[in-house]
Amino acid sequence: MSKLERDSRAGAVLEVLGIAVFVHASGALRISGQPPDWLRLIWPTVTEPDATLPGSSAFLENFLIDARECWTAGGEKRARSGPWVEQTADGNELSLEATALTIGGQAILLLERLGEVFEAKKSMLQKARETVIAYQRLNSEMQKKEILLHCISEEMNAALANVITSLRLIELEKDPTRIGQLLRLASRATEEQQTLINKVLNVFAAELEGLRGRDGTAMAQTQLGDAVRAAEENVAPQFADKGVRLRLAGSGLDEMRVAMDSTHLTRVLSTLLENALQSAPAGDEVRLNFAEESGAILIRISDNGPSFPPDICANLFSRAATAASGPQASHLPLQFCRIAVENCDGEIGYESRHEGGNTFWVMLPTPAAPK
Amino acid sequence: MIQKKICMIGASGVGKTSLISKFVHSMFSDKYLTTVGVKIDKKTVAVDGAEVMLMIWDLEGDDDYQRLQTSYLRGSSGYLLVADGTRQITLDQAIEIQGRVTAAIGPVPFLLALNKADLVSQWEIDQSRVDDLTARGWKSFKTSAKEGAGVEEAFVELSRQMIQPP
Ligand SMILES: Nc1nc2c(ncn2[C@@H]2O[C@H](COP(=O)(O)OP(=O)(O)OP(=O)(O)O)[C@@H](O)[C@H]2O)c(=O)[nH]1
Ligand SMILES: [Mg+2]
Repeated sequence: MSKLERDSRAGAVLEVLGIAVFVHASGALRISGQPPDWLRLIWPTVTEPDATLPGSSAFLENFLIDARECWTAGGEKRARSGPWVEQTADGNELSLEATALTIGGQAILLLERLGEVFEAKKSMLQKARETVIAYQRLNSEMQKKEILLHCISEEMNAALANVITSLRLIELEKDPTRIGQLLRLASRATEEQQTLINKVLNVFAAELEGLRGRDGTAMAQTQLGDAVRAAEENVAPQFADKGVRLRLAGSGLDEMRVAMDSTHLTRVLSTLLENALQSAPAGDEVRLNFAEESGAILIRISDNGPSFPPDICANLFSRAATAASGPQASHLPLQFCRIAVENCDGEIGYESRHEGGNTFWVMLPTPAAPK
Repeated sequence: MIQKKICMIGASGVGKTSLISKFVHSMFSDKYLTTVGVKIDKKTVAVDGAEVMLMIWDLEGDDDYQRLQTSYLRGSSGYLLVADGTRQITLDQAIEIQGRVTAAIGPVPFLLALNKADLVSQWEIDQSRVDDLTARGWKSFKTSAKEGAGVEEAFVELSRQMIQPP
């Protein structure tokens, strides 16, 4: 078989495969042999043998820079463009790939219409990527659940602590009215715990939804006064135990309404008060300030205890704390607070005061003027 | 008319293709069809009285399966770095990719698009992280390829930065 025959047979094979061969000669890329049909769909002018490749594809123009480098290097070197999509004149799309190579000193550009193999690769990638995304979502869903679960345990624990403290105080108490009060507190805490257990059993899913979806929370309205009093009662036994006073400052508490679910708000306030109590020196005080500021209510809870070290401050509310360093129990309730507050378009933050002490603040939109 | 090449860069499934589709064709689909390879779209925008023809390169998501090919970035005047606001990890990925892009083509204008802003209840990206990036000089937009919010604004702002370098 002569070289000419071999060449024409090779050309025929490429033609059957639908691969267009362009030869680089005197500054232009010319088609070699019969252009495949699909080529005309994109470049209607490339119909005749010897036609030049039009410079209308921005992708190819960019690839030709790599191709020229490859041709200059010569030898075995090849450059592949990777797949790209080209629009046909009638509005369809074709996936193509270009290869630059040198054969016998001749610079060659192959243009291939990608077919079944490419489609198979694409569908593999589709599945792989969908799986990765589903995995990421599941992971983050689990983190949220973990936080909620922890918060519920914390709440049950707090209720139990109230029962224990009340019982201990009753033991020491002589005043019958005071004993009556403590008994009522203890019995309320017991009921609370029972409610919580029921919640865990029945409403866990709904609770998660309520926290995540804003449908329920967007319409929520809570009288700040009610939530503050409920939170105050929640923490009263622990405060009494440590001899710490809770001082409220601000006026018009009962006129203030915030756009947040009342259970969530009470939980947030109780958590922040418990936090402050932990830092507060025994016999000292914790202050709860509230004020209305341009369509929002700002609540500040401060203590005079030692300020948190900076590395802790940075991660107090961070989701990353659970993701990266594993669940840090003490931060989970604060993360719950953050999620609950942000879900109703509020903000939560911490600041240490230079004169010492810690302040947690919560900014909540009022129902009339959601932020 | 001024012609500028921009690239869509970011992890898989963050909404690069959807942002282009909304911006260029005013269309959105909920169905996820991953991009394999490159597709180029064109759209003219008016920026402060000037017409800019954007050549928008939709690149495939950078992930473990397929790495961003830096040769595609050649000649880019800017890029839109896209993250999915409902997947915090895609912001970390965007930051990492941005480093690679800068190493490849130098400091060209870019904007961070925090996409899927319509999915408020699933939002995961902390504002404090965005503030940190802003402090580093990053400009970011919340976008929704679904509802259109911020989409045109992001492309126009990127164009503005490309034609009038600071
Ligand atoms: N709700 C909502 N969904 C969106 C938005 N943008 C994209 N999506 C959805 O997210 C999925 C991925 O979108 P694509 O645009 O394909 O993402 P991509 O970044 O191009 O993905 P790759 O090509 O795989 O890298 C699709 O199901 C889209 O419908 C948005 O703003 N809001
Ligand atoms: Mg895509």
